Amino acid sequence: MEAVLRGRNAAEVIPFDYDAPILYYPVRHHSPVCAWHLEQAMERYRPELVLVEGPENANDLIPILANPETRAPVALYYAYRDDTGLLRAVEPPKEDLPPESHACYYPFLDQSPELVALRLAERMGIPARFMDLPYGEILAATQAGTGLRKEEAAASYASDSFLAPELLWKRVCEKTGTRDFEEFWERYYECRGFFLSTEEFVRQMNAWCLLARENTPRREMEADGCLARESHMAGRIQEAGQSHGKILVVAGGFHLWGLLHPEEEPEKHPHVSRDSQAVYPVRYSEPAADALSGYTSGMPAPAFYRKLWTRLHEDGADAANAWDSVVLDTIVRCGRRLRAKGETISAYDEQCALQQARGLATLRNKEVPGLYELQDGVLSAFVKGAANLAGCEPLRLLREINTGNQVGELCRSDLVPPLVQDFARQCKKYRLRQDSADRQEVTLEIFSKARHRAESRFLHQSVFLDCGYARRDKGPDLLHGAGRNLIREHWICQWSAGVETALVEHALWGSTVSEASTHLLRHRLAEAAQAVDGAKLLVQGFLMGLGDAADAMAHRLEELLLTDGDFSSLCGACGAISALDAWQVQYDERGSYDYPALLRQCFARILQMLPSMSTVDDRGVESIQENCQLLYEITARPSFADLRAVFLEALEELIAQDPIHPALHGAALGLLYGGAPEKKSLAVQTAAGYLRGTHDQKLRAAAFLQGLFRTARDLLLVDDIQLASIDALLCELEDEEFIALLPQLRLAFSYFTPTETNRLGRQAAALHGQKCLKDGTTMVSPTDYTCWEGIDAWAAQRLEQWEWNQAEEGDDQA
Amino acid sequence: MEQTILRPTAEQRYANELTALACWDQTNPKPENWQLSPRAVRLFILGTPKSQPLELGGEPVTIRKKYYGNDALVERCIITLAGNRGLMLVGEPGTAKTMLSELLSAAISGCSTNTVQGTAGTTEDMIKYSWNYALLLAKGPSREALVPSPLYVGMEKGILTRFEEITRTPAEVQDCLISVLSDKVMNIPELGNQGLLFARPGFNVIGTANTRDKGVNEMSSALKRRFSFETVQPVGDVALEKQIILDEVGAMSRGAGISVPLDEDAATLLATAYHELRQGISAEGMRLKKPAAVMSTAEAVSVYYQTLMSAWYYGGPEQARHLDERALAENLMGAVAKESREELAAIREYFSTIVQKKAEQEGGAWKRFYEAGMRLK
Repeated sequence: MEAVLRGRNAAEVIPFDYDAPILYYPVRHHSPVCAWHLEQAMERYRPELVLVEGPENANDLIPILANPETRAPVALYYAYRDDTGLLRAVEPPKEDLPPESHACYYPFLDQSPELVALRLAERMGIPARFMDLPYGEILAATQAGTGLRKEEAAASYASDSFLAPELLWKRVCEKTGTRDFEEFWERYYECRGFFLSTEEFVRQMNAWCLLARENTPRREMEADGCLARESHMAGRIQEAGQSHGKILVVAGGFHLWGLLHPEEEPEKHPHVSRDSQAVYPVRYSEPAADALSGYTSGMPAPAFYRKLWTRLHEDGADAANAWDSVVLDTIVRCGRRLRAKGETISAYDEQCALQQARGLATLRNKEVPGLYELQDGVLSAFVKGAANLAGCEPLRLLREINTGNQVGELCRSDLVPPLVQDFARQCKKYRLRQDSADRQEVTLEIFSKARHRAESRFLHQSVFLDCGYARRDKGPDLLHGAGRNLIREHWICQWSAGVETALVEHALWGSTVSEASTHLLRHRLAEAAQAVDGAKLLVQGFLMGLGDAADAMAHRLEELLLTDGDFSSLCGACGAISALDAWQVQYDERGSYDYPALLRQCFARILQMLPSMSTVDDRGVESIQENCQLLYEITARPSFADLRAVFLEALEELIAQDPIHPALHGAALGLLYGGAPEKKSLAVQTAAGYLRGTHDQKLRAAAFLQGLFRTARDLLLVDDIQLASIDALLCELEDEEFIALLPQLRLAFSYFTPTETNRLGRQAAALHGQKCLKDGTTMVSPTDYTCWEGIDAWAAQRLEQWEWNQAEEGDDQA
Repeated sequence: MEQTILRPTAEQRYANELTALACWDQTNPKPENWQLSPRAVRLFILGTPKSQPLELGGEPVTIRKKYYGNDALVERCIITLAGNRGLMLVGEPGTAKTMLSELLSAAISGCSTNTVQGTAGTTEDMIKYSWNYALLLAKGPSREALVPSPLYVGMEKGILTRFEEITRTPAEVQDCLISVLSDKVMNIPELGNQGLLFARPGFNVIGTANTRDKGVNEMSSALKRRFSFETVQPVGDVALEKQIILDEVGAMSRGAGISVPLDEDAATLLATAYHELRQGISAEGMRLKKPAAVMSTAEAVSVYYQTLMSAWYYGGPEQARHLDERALAENLMGAVAKESREELAAIREYFSTIVQKKAEQEGGAWKRFYEAGMRLK
């Protein structure tokens, strides 16, 4: 292997001969120049069979990819579940681990040589096949943690990491004065390649690929499964050679040497059953295919090269013209969009950018200006003032334009799962965009317009199916009991390749979005372990407009309510059921199920457990306070007014417990006073007990006050609890004790309105002989304010993400 | 070459290289009035590989790389100068903007001295032209009595005019460039009918401005439009920065007659320290406080050179070969504490955290550097 190239010509090592029975054509994924020469080679060679590098379990899908109605970017989505334990390490894993599962995309753009080969074969009426190992077997041949088995969200089959071994490209870039491998590649292959004959281009491709292979350690190729794949492909080529006279092999340039000199015997690969692996055609998007913004490695700027590809196929266009006009077109587009954003970019600036790009191409010995000259031109002519390379607007915008926002389209076919088709239909119905990867914002008046309500239900269903398509950022949130005053829902929708794969993964649940959601809901309800999970699923079903299905499952919740012994879970369930009961009318969805009965049942279970919660710890006390308040609110509704008495009894039982957490003690007393005003004296006495009691008791007073003021702050306002005694307590405390109590005290007084705190402040000042409070407010400068506002927004954004994750985790558990 | 001036101009220093390039450059296309073609200018600044020297009179001439860090920027600058717009180099102090502008004018026009040195006191006549009053009184306004300033010279001869520190000059003075840059003609009303100076091909303006200083005059947007901006960033790679320090100090010490090999360890220390303090993050990923002072490579060079000189003159060749880390640390402190003593806190923190860690892990020079740093008050 070491001597692959030394002293020999690449054309001798890998022959490229139009008269040979097998023509090996090297490609780089998504490279327009490879695709362009491939077209020429195919026209001239006129093969009888085309073999393309790609997992062969997708052979049935080739007609879809090659169909003229299919518009790139599209991808093949491969999924594999390791039912038979093929991927397991030697030692047997723990019993409870689910089988390992993997998935990957094989994206195709218009300028991808593989797609070009398939399309041209279709037009020429030649059969075409994939020749690589099926996906599952590739995984089996790959070491854990490398290649396609990396722990990434979605791997790409079309990764070309082998094409540029780090040591090699660094040396080459240094020699050629290019910034990175991509710039080197563009200068010497993408641009120059168009001005070479096909034979010469292939020779140069092979020269580079052999160099790359020479610089890649064997163990890396082994770990990646590269050698096993090559020997399989070589076997397939040999097989085909027996039945066909002229075969065109289209494979990654790196592999050609391996195809000609396979190392392993193909028989030794394990066979993977069809059931545990699946492959679907899905629509793909340009942002996902961009090496810079998406998750694949490979050629950057898909939209830029797509335009080049289109221009090359226009009548009478030659390569030089095509490059130049794409660069000009992009400059003009960028200028126009900058102007729309209020920047002053003149036509003269655009002229200068083009001049710069052309000049640089000449200086750099390039036949035509390319992507990097375009970037340099824009940087020079459009950026006024100091620029940091990553952050300036013109460059950001240019990158956006070069990445593109196109989304592909699949031809009509039975092989596209009906769920995906239904999703597309629904999107069309509600005018939700899915032909572009741009964001779309939708505001829905869910309470006044039936159509909006239906749309909201569809979007909720898509969220339930984990599509990642829509996100609600404003609106009433029944699940978390927030935003109940809002009457509109605000959604952000954005299509990405992940939407379709999520749908594909859920395809087994049903053929329409609502059917799949219904079945998944039932499944999750059946699996729910806690009452709160069950109740939240009911709420989700309600939001998705699947009330009937949810109703049918509500008896499952009854079981959960009986078996669940977790206080906070029961309270969560209670909150959710109560929200359902309260919102049925507004959402115009009256369930057939008797929610009030369910709520009563839940309520009874909670009351049984309430007294035993007295010894809760500091961390849990707030949620219990909250839950008590929730129960109190429920009993305030006319239909549940009869529960008030039992609730108060339970509270009395709770405060009779000893020991009891002071914060819970305070909150319970406050609620008791609210429900039965005659208990006021009890509350006041207990407060006095804390404030004037033993030293230990005094230290607990802050927590007690926090609980009490949370539920009944009027006790302080009407002077039943004397401010003076609180003041006395504070005066008595040592500094350290005061510091320890301060957070609780602050919280306690945060329940008062600003006017009330001001009044209390004045009273407290009077106790110390002051007429009024010292002005404690400090002036804030506008810069500080802006800065803090920025920090606040940043934190809110982070928290929101965090909540999202939490919510998702919650769903997973459900 | 015998040296009789403190700092020869770029075209004098690199006369040999420029001649060799001119020989090599016979066939390359070049813009009118340029001494060298854009390709040769690029080679002059970015250098030729050691293995492929040019030839001059049978002798090999290696073109030294003179500007490090961003080759694409140099290429953009050259193309801009060949075009219709001026070139404006902006960036922090000490990022070699002036050097780049000097090299560009030396290579393109063969003259790097046609320069306006911008200050708050710069007036319009220092840029365009003024008068020899004796002649003016004797003969009246005539070309003879006119004293051309750099902009005039550049337009008349078709060479580059350098405008250093353009943002330090008052806004109204800056604005005299606006119409000249777009119309390429200067109006001299005193000369009557002959009062129009048309720029010859080859004329252009290279401005430099720094983005750090306070109290400078922001350029008007009309003027900005007539320039292409290039932001010169500090060197981003420690190994490269070390190489620059060694190259620059080497050249300076040869000029000063200091003839010892340079201490590479000291260059590594300085390059690392400057790099980490500038970035506010250590090589190990620890965040640290950034000093407000300018932490440019040029500063690192002067700290090194200062240490070297004191070792050479107060010590001897042996001391100069192995620089004392304590002196290095002291000079580093001195260079940082320009604006306030609070800056020193950042350096101390750097010593007590990052340098300490490096001292533990790598020992040797880092250990001595740490000990020296901790002894400083």
